[in-house]
Amino acid sequence: MDKVRNFAHANRQMLSMALVFVFLASALGSALAPQKANAQQEAGIVITGRVLNTQGQSIEGARVMLHDGDENEIAAQTETGEEGVWTLEMARLPEGPLELQIERQHYQRLAIPLNPNMQQDLDERGALLMGEIELERRITSAFWAATLIFLGVLLVIAFEKLHSTTAALAGLSAVFLFSVIGGAFNTDFFIYDFERALTYINWEVIFLIMGMMILIAVIEGTGIFQWTAFQAYRLSRGRAWLLVLILMAVTAVASALLDNFTTMLLMTPISLQIGLALGINPLAFIIPEVLASNVGGITTLIGTPTNILIGAYADISFQDFLVNQTVGVLLALVGMAAYVMYHYRHELRKHPAGISETLYARLESNARIRDPQALWKSGLVFVLVLVGFIVGEQFHVVPAVPAIIGATALLVWLRPDVHAMIKAVDWTTLVFFMALFMVVGAVQEVGFISMIAVRMAQMIGENLILGIAVIVFGVGTLSVAIANIPLAASMLPVAEFLSGSIPGASSKVLYYALSMGAAMGGNGLLIGGEANLVTAGIASQAGSPISFKEFMKVGLPVTYITLTAGFLWLLFRFGM
Amino acid sequence: MKKILTPTRGGEASLPNQDRAIQIAKEQGAELYFLYITDVSFLDRLASPVLIDMEAEISEMGEFVLAIAQERAAKQGVEAKALVHSGVFSEVIAAVIEEHAVDTLILGSPDEQTGITTWEYLTRLSEELGERFDLEILLLSKGEVVYEYQI
Repeated sequence: MDKVRNFAHANRQMLSMALVFVFLASALGSALAPQKANAQQEAGIVITGRVLNTQGQSIEGARVMLHDGDENEIAAQTETGEEGVWTLEMARLPEGPLELQIERQHYQRLAIPLNPNMQQDLDERGALLMGEIELERRITSAFWAATLIFLGVLLVIAFEKLHSTTAALAGLSAVFLFSVIGGAFNTDFFIYDFERALTYINWEVIFLIMGMMILIAVIEGTGIFQWTAFQAYRLSRGRAWLLVLILMAVTAVASALLDNFTTMLLMTPISLQIGLALGINPLAFIIPEVLASNVGGITTLIGTPTNILIGAYADISFQDFLVNQTVGVLLALVGMAAYVMYHYRHELRKHPAGISETLYARLESNARIRDPQALWKSGLVFVLVLVGFIVGEQFHVVPAVPAIIGATALLVWLRPDVHAMIKAVDWTTLVFFMALFMVVGAVQEVGFISMIAVRMAQMIGENLILGIAVIVFGVGTLSVAIANIPLAASMLPVAEFLSGSIPGASSKVLYYALSMGAAMGGNGLLIGGEANLVTAGIASQAGSPISFKEFMKVGLPVTYITLTAGFLWLLFRFGM
Repeated sequence: MKKILTPTRGGEASLPNQDRAIQIAKEQGAELYFLYITDVSFLDRLASPVLIDMEAEISEMGEFVLAIAQERAAKQGVEAKALVHSGVFSEVIAAVIEEHAVDTLILGSPDEQTGITTWEYLTRLSEELGERFDLEILLLSKGEVVYEYQI
């Protein structure tokens, strides 16, 4: 990972160079021109700079004004761009004392009087480089409102008081209501407007998920999962311990390539049937399976929703995830397998009764490949999409592009019912992601996330090992109880800040730590991940409900075993 | 011929209740119906995409669960029928009672560890169904009759 560039640092350098270039161009123009100062003023005056927050991140949309003290009016004004850069241009310099004023919602207003040296520079060269200017955060009513709304959304999702999508939309509506109604009376109540909120949506994530949903919808209907589970049963020849190991491996691999939630939707019913037919407690199969699925997904960009978020945010490719996470995940799976074998030792030592011919035939029928044509076609397209993820990186093609092309290719090639396929796209989930991005954006806007980042940076200092440990174990522990998607979404700017502030963290190791923590922590409790909940829901349909306590007895130790394996791997992989 | 209906999910806790229902059917020479009710309402609270027809998947699982129960009954010399329906537990039971003119309903009472219904719910349901249909209702726990609603 030495070759991985520090994008933040490089960007900053490039921007500084650009500022210097603007400045030099103006100065050079002035030096070559034979005119006197007055003539220069007619040719144009340029003042440029960059506005950052105290964490060194660009501030977009800040209002920059040059105030004329004598006339008590604004001589020139502009707004900072995406990278925080601004340029004030005037035909001539106003007479009298000048003051540069910068203001931005949720930040303290800054006034910089132009001293005589600066004014002299402007007179002589017609240009002034102000460099990087820092704005300090301001805690307003909007800060508290956005923070409380955000925490409320997390709690409502954690305690399942509302559907996650409804909770995220309710949070977003509350943010807008507070901004619009409160903001009309006092600007301190204003959080952001709709246009600004939209900028927080990561469309790359939305399109990648949409494309993958269509691909998965075709693949899942072929019966490949059920067939694989049945083959696992045949291969194990009824030996329960071997069966559970094969099922764990199958779910881990399937979760890496599709997603763990869908994998468990398909694997749980057939695994339950195998367990019931063998007369073995099916929980000894399906709990290890769901634990493996939560961890297996970490190896690829598309394996977990949190990886999709992290990949899009930090520009981490499919290949990067594969190279930097796979061995760590394998180590974690070995630790997990050892623990579940120990935990279920009595159940797995049983010599199961043989399955009757009738039940065997029914099991085989339920696990048949339902559509071989669709299987090979969708399999081929899926492989090509994976190749697209890897090759696309070389041409700066984001993963959403191969996913959308692959989904479209399947629609054209297989000609499935388009309405059914579009219906297969879970719009509820996409709306959840969009609303979530905007709610997280609200707390970013008011500075809550920055505050967390600063506190963490103060705690961690420059110790990268401590930073990795805090993220792996801290996020892992939080993910035990909090839904990991909103958690990961809100931790991304924190990881970004820490990656810029801790020496050596530019390798993106903290993002990998976030990926591991968020996914592995989901194994701690039944409520820790959606795959857990859906598995429990299906299991209860087969008279084998998973109690909170039963899951925790296995899940919690497994969480810390896997987090430790992941942590140690990251230290090794990134040369610490 | 008398008809006995017993809903089941096929878990370990329900096996003694299945056996008792089989025994009662055998003693009375009654026709035994095992009923599996598919309920996918647990999916409604999840944010993740449910791209699969889970009702069909779980119905298939239900058929398998009932096939195990039928095999269990056959071993005890009783030929049982299997019914798989989807919907709300109380509504489906009422509809099946009506459709098949059931005489006796045998419900397994909730197990302390794994039950998904409550004792209060089942007794209230028994009273409601008993008043609505000419029906004998037995509530079983670990294979023993613990509550009886007589016509």
